Formats: sequence, structure tokens, C-alpha cells
Amino acid sequence: MTSPGIQVEAVGLLTGWGAGVAALPASAHDAAAGRASILLPRPPLDGERFRRATRECLLGVAAVEAMLADGGLSRESIRGTGTALIFVTAAAYGASNVEWLAGRAGTLHFPYTAPSVLPGEVAIEFGLTGPYVILIGGPTATVDGLWQAGRLIMNGQCERALVLAVETFEECEALWRRARWTVPGPLVESTTCVLLGPGDVRPVFHPVSADAALGDEVQTRAGCTLACAPLVALALARAADRDTALVGGAWRGRAAAIELAVAGQPARL
Amino acid sequence: MRPSSGSTSSTCGAQPLPPEPVAIVAAGVVTPIGLDLDAFWSGLLAGADGLSVIERFATDDLKIRRGGEIKKLPAVAQAVRSRAAALLVAAATDLAARASLEAEPARIAVIVGTALGGVEELDHALTLDPTPRRALDGLYDSPAQALATWLGACGPVLTVSSACASGATSLGLGADLLRDDVVDLVVAGGYDVLCRFVMRGFDALRSLARERVRPFDRRRTGLLLGEAAGLVLLARERDVRGPRLGRLLGHGSASDASHIAAPDAHGRGLESAIRAALAAGGVSVDDLEFVSAHGTGTVLNDRIETAVLKRVLGARAGAVPVNSIKGAIGHTMGAAATLEAIMCLLAARDGWVPPTVGYEEADADCDLDYVPGACRALRPRRMLSTSLGFGGCNAALVLEGAV
Repeated sequence: MTSPGIQVEAVGLLTGWGAGVAALPASAHDAAAGRASILLPRPPLDGERFRRATRECLLGVAAVEAMLADGGLSRESIRGTGTALIFVTAAAYGASNVEWLAGRAGTLHFPYTAPSVLPGEVAIEFGLTGPYVILIGGPTATVDGLWQAGRLIMNGQCERALVLAVETFEECEALWRRARWTVPGPLVESTTCVLLGPGDVRPVFHPVSADAALGDEVQTRAGCTLACAPLVALALARAADRDTALVGGAWRGRAAAIELAVAGQPARL
Repeated sequence: MRPSSGSTSSTCGAQPLPPEPVAIVAAGVVTPIGLDLDAFWSGLLAGADGLSVIERFATDDLKIRRGGEIKKLPAVAQAVRSRAAALLVAAATDLAARASLEAEPARIAVIVGTALGGVEELDHALTLDPTPRRALDGLYDSPAQALATWLGACGPVLTVSSACASGATSLGLGADLLRDDVVDLVVAGGYDVLCRFVMRGFDALRSLARERVRPFDRRRTGLLLGEAAGLVLLARERDVRGPRLGRLLGHGSASDASHIAAPDAHGRGLESAIRAALAAGGVSVDDLEFVSAHGTGTVLNDRIETAVLKRVLGARAGAVPVNSIKGAIGHTMGAAATLEAIMCLLAARDGWVPPTVGYEEADADCDLDYVPGACRALRPRRMLSTSLGFGGCNAALVLEGAV
């Protein structure tokens, strides 16, 4: 079924500062106290299936769990072909790639070097068999992902969409330090999941002309979260009970933004 | 090309039904069997074998040392620092020689798919080159950024990484950007480099063929990897003046949600992706006249893919030719789906379908018409291309040759 628009129905947010927007400091720079990066530890998820899974994969699962808690939703409500999964990251594949390159990992680690395996693990865990898109990049890629998620919902290709972003830095901190002019510190490891559902308000996509300063509030409070930043902005908007949010950012010379409706009430799927 | 309004914002999903046709205007490639589109195409039709002993990096510690390696890049690409970006520049040079890329720079998008991105540069950054520039080259989106810079494109630059299905999704997203009037032109496609990182991985997983790649053959033992880049120029059909290769009618994707490194045993995700692509394009399965299969040559993939095609095509399954070009060029990962889509459109243009190189002996589990032996005189009009990748990714494209 097609829909005239979309809306944000739930947001799960975990950062190196803690769970949710309440954990974000007023100033990430001050709170970092000179640390280059803020670690988000491996979530304590048990079970044989997760024995080989990387920290990044588990962070993806944890973000979806946090989103379900925020929306008061069950796992069953997102299972199946009706849910699209959009995954975005600028850097979360770095840790597994470095492990493989260094020869420290066994054969069965190799598939985890593919960025597509993180959303693959999330899809397995929650039984998500709908459409997917996997984009690599910073905040602009997340804006592109939100656009695509909205398109899938409005065209009736899915009933709802999860937009998931994960960023980790610890294992590649030395490389990021080399390129520090591209990423204002502190680097804050984050995982964020936004649930989009049908709504009345059509999103407005600004693919290249947005204000590059849009992500400044997120940068100030959360620090550098790369692809997570627009989703952190949506979490802030939802916490502030705003009806709409214009979120975006800049990455590698391009700025982009998207304006979305934000539902104030817990989702009802 | 007739640029449209030049607006820089867009409401999403504002498409009429059926979806606005998107033209595939032209293509450019660099592959192990040919450094441009004409050489690639003649090689496919001739049943060329582009798989050879790898020379560019050490393979002494590997069980399998063969792959689809491009021995010498075109001159235009030889000065490019990263091999991944060099492949894209080579393919873009070929594309630019075949079609005009004139549009407002902010209205030109670049969307490329990759399984490996700049991972070879990451290796260099860790071991050989401590410069900041090399560290940035290691990001998976760096080759796409380099291509956009080379093209002078200032619109959206997207890197898709759904493993070996990436080159299909990139074309689908490109068509969506055009349908939403976000841009006027899209350079879309896929690439990947044959490097030690990925050879070590597939060698360790024992997924590589001990001898030649034999898609759908009873004696198949696995895949061999290759490197390539394939790019197409997409535009709204109504904006195109002059010849085009064909149309992208529909794109579909679906997650398996069953295993991170093996296809779903019943191929449910692949079937969903195919049906979604057909629905998106408003195409009946009865209209399909040719299938370009993922056809890796692994025991599992080829059996599952055959079973899915038989379910989808129904009673017509035996009558619809199915081929795989991976026996000729290897599995080119992020480039594979784009090259296979291009192959479909060339088949429709010239009235010849390339053979499945390496296929000789029938398998009881793989009992379709795999175009054995030599290329076949056939001009398919509507075609299906299928792709699968790590993470349970499945993608399908429905294509139409130029009328």
C-alpha cells in the first residue's frame, strides 16, 4: 500500500557517552577531556550465534533493541518482508578489515570484513526479509538512506523501514588521527536506529544544497559520529517533542539534508 | 540530453504509476577480457577465457593462484594512485567516449557499488605509506569520490556495498534519483580490484575453483575472482535524444536473514528480489526472454539459483535461456551485476547471447538452458539479471533492450 508521506516512529541511540539523548553531554569536546575517541563497548549479547560476530554487528543489534524499547514495540512487529533495512556507515568495517589484514583473524572472520554482514546479522536476528540498501559514507550517506527509506515506504515496497547507522573508531584510531582535518574530534563511537513508518508528511530531500552547519548541534553535544549524526539529530528532535526535523550534514565536500515528520507518540504497528 | 528544472531539492517518491522509464544511454567497461566495451563484448561472444595466473601480488601461500586479472590498465588510468579508482577512471573514459555527460554538475550523480572499496589502499596505509592521503584512500567511498572528481560531477555521490550484489543496487538507486527528479544524469555501476585481501579470504574459505570455473556444470568446484569496472549512463527516457542501449524497468532487493556467508537454502530472498523487480517494472514473468544469472560456479549457488528460476519462470523455465559470464571473466564482485546488465543490453542490441564459458556437462540439479558451447542468435527484449552477496543480499534487475 502506498503512503502520502512518512514519519519517524521510534529511535534507538547508544553512544560512547551512554544510552539515549539524556546521556549526551552539553559539550562533547569538554567531556572528552583530551581523549581522541570515546569507546562504545561490545554489547553483552549472549548465545552461540553471536560467538564469532564482531563488536560492530552486536552494536547494530543493540541499536535495534533500543529502538524497539523506545517505541514500545515487539520484535514480532518488525519481522518479515514488510520491513526494509537501510544500513549506513563511514567506518564500521575498518576494525574487521584491519584484523584480517594483520593476519590476526581466522578463516571464519573473513566474511565479517564485508560491510554487508553487519546488516546481515541484524536481519538474521530480527527476521528482516524485506528490501535493503547498504551505503558507505558520512552524514550525507545517511541522508541518502533516509530518502531511499521514505521512497520505499511511499511506493508501497515496504510497510516500514529501519535506518541503521553504526560507527566504530578504536581499532583504526591511528589512521583517523592521520586524517584528523576531515573529522573534528572527539570521535564518538555510536549506533543508532530509526524506525520510519507511513505518515501524512512527504519528506523534502535536499541532495546538495543544504546548510553544511546543520549537524553542528550534534557535533557539539555528541562529538563526531559520522553516519550516525543525522539519526542522533532525529533522536534529539523526538526527545524535544518536535513535529518535524531538518537533519543533515557534510562529508567530503558535499552537504545534504532531509526534512522529516517526527511522531510524538509511541509507534503502533 | 535535455536538463530539467535544475532544482536542488525534491520531494521523495513523487513518481507517476507506472514508474517513469529510465534509459540506459551508454556503457563503459574495463575487464580481464577487454579494456573497453567493444573488446569486452567481442570477447564474451567468442567465449574468451580471461582467467590467468595472478602476477600483480604474491600468491605463493595460496592454494589457488588464478583469477581474472587485468594485466595492463589503459594509459589514462595508469597514473591514478589507487587501483580501484583507476578501474573506475578507465571505465568512465570508455563511457565518456560513447555518450555526452553534459548537465549542470550539481545535477549529475555518481553511484557505484563495491564489495571491497579502497581496501587495498587500507593495506598500503597500514604497511607502506604513512601519509594522510593514503589513509583516506582506504575508506570504501574513496574510489567513488575520485570518480566524481574526475567526471566533474557535483551531485550526490553514493557508494553501495551490498557485497557482490552492489552493482545491481547502484543502478536501481540511480533510477530512483532520476524518477524523483533529484538529478538529470547518473553515472552508475560497480567495480572491484583483485587483491591479496580478498584472494586470501576466498582461498581460506575453499570457495575457489581448483581448475576452471564451470557455472551450472556437473563438475563445478567453485568460483574464481576477477577485477573489473562497469559504468552506465542513466537518464530519464524523456530527456534522451539519440541512441540508447535500453531501459532499466525495475529493481528489487531482499534480505535472506538466514546466513552471513551462504545463500538461503531455498533461495527465498532471491525469489523475493526477482518478484519485487518484476512488480516495480510492471513486467510479467511471461515477458522475460533471457536471464543473466549470478552463476558463480559454486555447488550451492548454482543449484539454488536454478531452483528459484524454475519457480519464478514456471512452465517456461526450460525455454528461457540462462547464462553466466563468470566462466569468462571470473567473479568481479562489485562490478559483476553491472557488467551482466550491460551484457544483457548488448545481447538485445546485436541479437547474440554469449555462452556460459566452462559449462559442458549437465547436472541433475541444474537443468535449464545455459547457452552451452557458443553464442546463440537470439534478440531478447525483456531480460532479468540476478545477484547475490555476503550478508544475505539478493538483488534483481529487469531490463529492456532498445526498441
